[in-house]
Amino acid sequence: MKAGHSQAMFFQSRAAEKVRNPVLQKALQKAKPLFSGKRAKSMAALPDDGLEFEQLRDACAGIRDRALADLDVWLEIFEDNARARGAEVLWARDGDEICQLVIDVAQRHGVRKVTKSKSMLSEEAQLNEALAAAGIEPVETDLGEYIIQLAGEAPSHIIAPAVHKSLEEVEALFAKTHGRPQEERTSADIPALTREARGVLRQHFLSADMGISGANFLIAESGTAALVTNEGNGRMVTTLPKLHVVITGIEKVVPTLEDFATLMRLLPRSATGQTISNYVSLLTGTRSEEEVEGPTKTVFILVDNGRASLVGSAYQEMLRCIRCGACMNHCPVYFSLGGHAYGWVYPGPMGSVLTPLYTGIENALDLPHASTGCRQCSSVCPVRIPLPDLMHGLREIQHERGLRPWGERLGLRAWAWLATRPALYRALTRLAARYLNWLADGSGRIRIFGFAPGWTAARDLPVAGNRTFFEQYAARKRD
Amino acid sequence: MRIALYVTCLVDLMRPSVAFAALRLLEATGNDVVVPPAQTCCGQPAWSSGNRPLAATLAQKAIADLEGYDAVVVPSGSCAEQIVKVYPQLFADDPVWGPRARALAGCTHELTAFLAEVAGLEAVPGEFAGSVTYHDSCKGLRGLGIKAQPRALLARVKGLSLQEMGECEECCGFGGAFAENYADISARIVDRKCDSIAAAGADAVVGGDLGCLLNIEGRLRRRGDEKTRVLHVAEVLAGEVKA
Repeated sequence: MKAGHSQAMFFQSRAAEKVRNPVLQKALQKAKPLFSGKRAKSMAALPDDGLEFEQLRDACAGIRDRALADLDVWLEIFEDNARARGAEVLWARDGDEICQLVIDVAQRHGVRKVTKSKSMLSEEAQLNEALAAAGIEPVETDLGEYIIQLAGEAPSHIIAPAVHKSLEEVEALFAKTHGRPQEERTSADIPALTREARGVLRQHFLSADMGISGANFLIAESGTAALVTNEGNGRMVTTLPKLHVVITGIEKVVPTLEDFATLMRLLPRSATGQTISNYVSLLTGTRSEEEVEGPTKTVFILVDNGRASLVGSAYQEMLRCIRCGACMNHCPVYFSLGGHAYGWVYPGPMGSVLTPLYTGIENALDLPHASTGCRQCSSVCPVRIPLPDLMHGLREIQHERGLRPWGERLGLRAWAWLATRPALYRALTRLAARYLNWLADGSGRIRIFGFAPGWTAARDLPVAGNRTFFEQYAARKRD
Repeated sequence: MRIALYVTCLVDLMRPSVAFAALRLLEATGNDVVVPPAQTCCGQPAWSSGNRPLAATLAQKAIADLEGYDAVVVPSGSCAEQIVKVYPQLFADDPVWGPRARALAGCTHELTAFLAEVAGLEAVPGEFAGSVTYHDSCKGLRGLGIKAQPRALLARVKGLSLQEMGECEECCGFGGAFAENYADISARIVDRKCDSIAAAGADAVVGGDLGCLLNIEGRLRRRGDEKTRVLHVAEVLAGEVKA
C-alpha cells in the first residue's frame, strides 16, 4: 500500500499549529459538549425503549464479526443479488482504481457534472481532484462537505466535515462564492445561510448527470445499499440523476435487513444522539418499469484499499467500524487538534489505527502514540473495537521494526537496567530526590527542567521534599 | 491477612506522603502490612512505548517481588491496572510466568477498591475541613471500575464535602510519556481539566493517581492558581495533609 496523500508524518508540527489556532479552538470547544452530550442523552434513554447499551453493542459487534468471518461469501451474495436487481457491481483495489472506474463510467455516459453525497472513500481516492482533471465537475451536496469544497479543504471529521469552520469563515466563503456582499452574522442566521446553500445546490441537483454516494451498509440478502443521512441531499443525489454510483468499502456488507435494523439501534445514537436519522434510504437496483423515479443505471464500486489485508490479522476488529465518529467525539486529543492534524482521511482514534494500517506504519509513526490511553474511545464504541489495544499493537510493531527514536530506546533500557538492580536504584533515586529538591530551591516546584522540557513548557513540576519514601521508611523503622 | 504495599516509583520519588498515608490506612484495617523491599518499577513506561520484551523483564521482577502475599495494594489506578490487566496478557502463553502473573493479578487491588470492597474499612482516620472535587483517573476508572469506592470513603472523612466538577471522567492529559512527547496537546487537555476544577470551586482537587495529580497541580500553579490544593485520596483519607 502506498502512502498516497497522507500527511501523517507532519503530525507534531501540525499539532503545534492547531493548538495555537484560536478560531479552531473555539469551534472545537463549542462542538465537544454537543457531541458527547447528545450521545449520552440518547444512550440514557435506551431503557425507555426496552434496550440496553451493553447488550446492543454485543449484538452489533456480533453482526459485524459474522459478516467479516465470511466476508468473501457475503460479498458474492451481495453481488449476485445486486446484479439480479439490475445494478452493475465493480471492484476497485485502491484509490486510483476508484477514480479510473468512476471516470470510465462517467465518460461512457457523457457526464459533465456529478453531485455527491458524503463519501469518505471518495476522500481516500481523492476523487474530486481526479474528476476535475478529467473535465467533470464534482459538487459536494452535504452542507459541511459543500463548505469545505468551497474552502478547498479536506473534512476534519467523518460526520461533521466542517466542524473546524467558524460562522464568520462560512459567511466569507458564501459571500465570495455566491457573489454577494459579506454581512455581519450571528448563529440566528444559520438557517438563512443553509437556505442560501440549498438554493445553489438545487440547481446542481437538477442539472447533474450522475450522482455519487457512499453506503453505510451493503445488505447481502437483497443487494441493497443502506444510506443514513440527515439533510435530504442523499435522496437528491441518488434519485434525480439517471446514473447513480455507490462507492463503499468491502467491509460494509452485512448479511440481512434484520442485521441492518439492529445496527441502526446504535449508529445514529452513537453518531448524533438521534434515535433515528432524518433519512434512512434503502437503495435496491435500478428504476423498474412501474417506477417513476430513480436512476436507470446503478453502479456499485466495492473497494479494498487495504481492507482485505486486515481480514484474519490482529487488526480485523477494526473492520467492524460503522463510521459513527463516537471515538473522535470522545477523544481529548481530537478535541485539542481537530481532524486535519492527523494528516489523512480518518482522524481521531479510528484514524490513529487506520492511517498506519492503510498508508504504511512507517508513514504515520506519531499517530498510535498520540493518545493518553484514556480508553474513552473504546468505552463508547458501538461495535466494541478495542481501539487503545490496537494502537498499542501498532506501538509494538514500531518497536520491533526499530522505528522508535534512539533516545527513547536507550532511555528505557537504562531505566530497566536500573530498575532490576534495587540497591543501585535506591541509591540513584535518593540522589534524584536531592537534585530535584535543590532545583526547586525551597519553592516546592521546578519551573524549567532540562530532563523534561516539554513538561515544564506548560506546567511546573511539583516537588515534595528531598528524601524518597524508601529512605524515610528505612529511617522510621530504625527509630 | 498479609498485605504488601506496592509504593510505585512516582510516589517513592515525588510524593512519599502518599505511601505513608496508604500504610496508615492499610494498618487501620487491622492487617499485617509489609513494604516488599526490592520493589521498583512495574514496567508501564516500557509497555506504553511498545517495548514488550522490556515490559516483560520488569514484570517478572515485580511478580517475584510481590507474590506470596494475601493481597497487594497499589495507591495508583494505572500501576494497579498494569499488574491486574497487562501482566496476564504479557505471559498469556507462558507455562511458568503465566500462572504466576495471573495469581498476582488476582490478589492485586487499587487502594480505594481494597479499602472499600475487600477490607470493608468503616472509619477513616482523616479529617478535612473543606470541599473537595474528585478527578477520576482514566486507567482506574475505565480499566478497573474505580468510581464509587473513593467517593464512598471520602464521604466518611470528617468535615469534608464533595463538590463534583463537570466532566470529572475526562482525561487530564497526562498519559505518561505523552505529557512530555506531545506536550502541546497534553497542555491543551490539562487546561480544560483546570477549567473544570476552577468552575467547581472546591478547596482541593483529589485523585487516585499521582501522575494525573502532578500534571494537574503543575498546570494549576503555572496558571497562577496557588490556592486550590491538589491531594492524593490516600492523603485525605489518612489525614496526611499538612495544614
